[in-house]
Amino acid sequence: MKRTGLLYDERFLLHSTNQGHPECSDRLEIAYGALKEAGLLSQLTLIQATPARLKWIERVHSPRHIFRFEEACMLDLGELDNPDNQICKDSYDIALLAVGGILKTIDLVMEGKLDNAFCAVRPPGHHAEINRALGFCYFNNVAIAAKYLQEQWGVQRVGIVDVDAHHGNGTQQIFFNDPTVFYYSIHEHPSFSFPGTGREFERGIEEGEGFTLNSPVLPGQGDEAYQELLQRDLFPAFASFKPEVVLLSAGFDAHMDDDMSNINLSSEGYSWIMQRMVDLAEAYANGRLISILEGGYSLKRLPELIKNHLEILLDK
Amino acid sequence: MFIDKSMTRDVLTVDPGTSIAEANELMSRNRIRHLPVIDQDSRLVGIVTDRDIRSAMPSNLLSEEAVAREIKQIALLKVKDIMTRNVVTVSPMNTLEDALLLMQRTKVGAFPVLDLQGKLIGIISVRDLMRAFINVLGIEEAGTLLCILAEDKLGQMKRIVDAITEERIPFGSILVARYWEEGKRAVFPYLLTSNVARVKAKLEGLGYTLLNPMQWSLDQLPKKADKISE
Repeated sequence: MKRTGLLYDERFLLHSTNQGHPECSDRLEIAYGALKEAGLLSQLTLIQATPARLKWIERVHSPRHIFRFEEACMLDLGELDNPDNQICKDSYDIALLAVGGILKTIDLVMEGKLDNAFCAVRPPGHHAEINRALGFCYFNNVAIAAKYLQEQWGVQRVGIVDVDAHHGNGTQQIFFNDPTVFYYSIHEHPSFSFPGTGREFERGIEEGEGFTLNSPVLPGQGDEAYQELLQRDLFPAFASFKPEVVLLSAGFDAHMDDDMSNINLSSEGYSWIMQRMVDLAEAYANGRLISILEGGYSLKRLPELIKNHLEILLDK
Repeated sequence: MFIDKSMTRDVLTVDPGTSIAEANELMSRNRIRHLPVIDQDSRLVGIVTDRDIRSAMPSNLLSEEAVAREIKQIALLKVKDIMTRNVVTVSPMNTLEDALLLMQRTKVGAFPVLDLQGKLIGIISVRDLMRAFINVLGIEEAGTLLCILAEDKLGQMKRIVDAITEERIPFGSILVARYWEEGKRAVFPYLLTSNVARVKAKLEGLGYTLLNPMQWSLDQLPKKADKISE
């Protein structure tokens, strides 16, 4: 069995969105409850969050964006730029806490105290761009994690895999010209789904050309399409890039029961994908896989999917 | 949507005496396909395209000797020897729709834009039109497309727009298209949100059918007796 960390902090529930908003605190609360009930917590190393230092946020986001987010929360404006991005007074602090928890998790993995980890955080991050919040995301958790790995831990090559049903436009933007971070995303085709980016021809620019890779999936497709595309696109890409650490943007909204996408992955399909992520990390990164929660809105399915994901990380 | 808002104003031009080698160089360096030809008073006298130049080049079926001979002759050619003199032009008061339909009819890829005095003030090409329509569709902003089937009768759009507005969702664009079934319209609101599950359910509750995007194809539109295309 592996030494697997679970980042979870009750304060993540304090980022509150309006009633009926899909990115709600119930997502985490119910999922955590299910892990407890399944008796899984005793097998995991539980990690409590501490707020990130601002300098790490600033490695990715513009001061303008950071200040506007902070100010909008202080003034309790209710939303940031779009009704999608709902905020409360605590949202800024909780977003800092989510990033801080992830950085702490990275430390534990890099110090060799953990083999891998899952970060059950809110708010999610992969839509957040350098200069704006988008699609329920304020700080780009996974992008900040990649920068931290490079600057704090001297990691040369970070591989990011994004399996959320939506394209991680923010993560792509941040590393579009960067050959040291490989961004791969598989998601519902942008003509049919938010945010409308992540087409096959988006492959990076300048020095980063060839270090961004997108596999759009047509609506209605599921397990088979994902297996084919990951084998065709991701596996060879990582075989040549050889990431030293694998970061996973773990979105669970491509499940057939999740109404935020038209992708039909089964629970078994998700498990297959998650097992391959562990395999990739084993092959190139000495097993170092840090998985960070993005979307996943089916309150019925999310607990089961997270539980399966953790069991695969634990290699029970 | 007038042409002068979308046209390219900094037009590269040549005069009739420019060599075709120079014109060719100018086009490939700037990645353009059309060069208006103007006289000393900025009056349009013709247009030369990359295709005109290609057609002037010797056939690759000729012998090497013949090619060499022809290239010598071609080197002497000027733009005025190969340009199109009968140029299709538009005015700044023409609309983007005019240009689009005219392109389909004439199969020409770019039109010089002339002011009332006949002076060249811009050029509008397929590229400019594409940019304008990408802008109109709003697809460079983050959003989600809905596909809704509605009765072709007054007030349907209002109901749809009201339902979406009640959910406080901003619009990127909205497109209405003919549908292959008699008496129906397909409505495509492009919504600046990631969160469409609730509004979809609401629209279905109002009796609208949401089209499966995988089933939708412009080819399935009723074929119009199309005098324009051929």
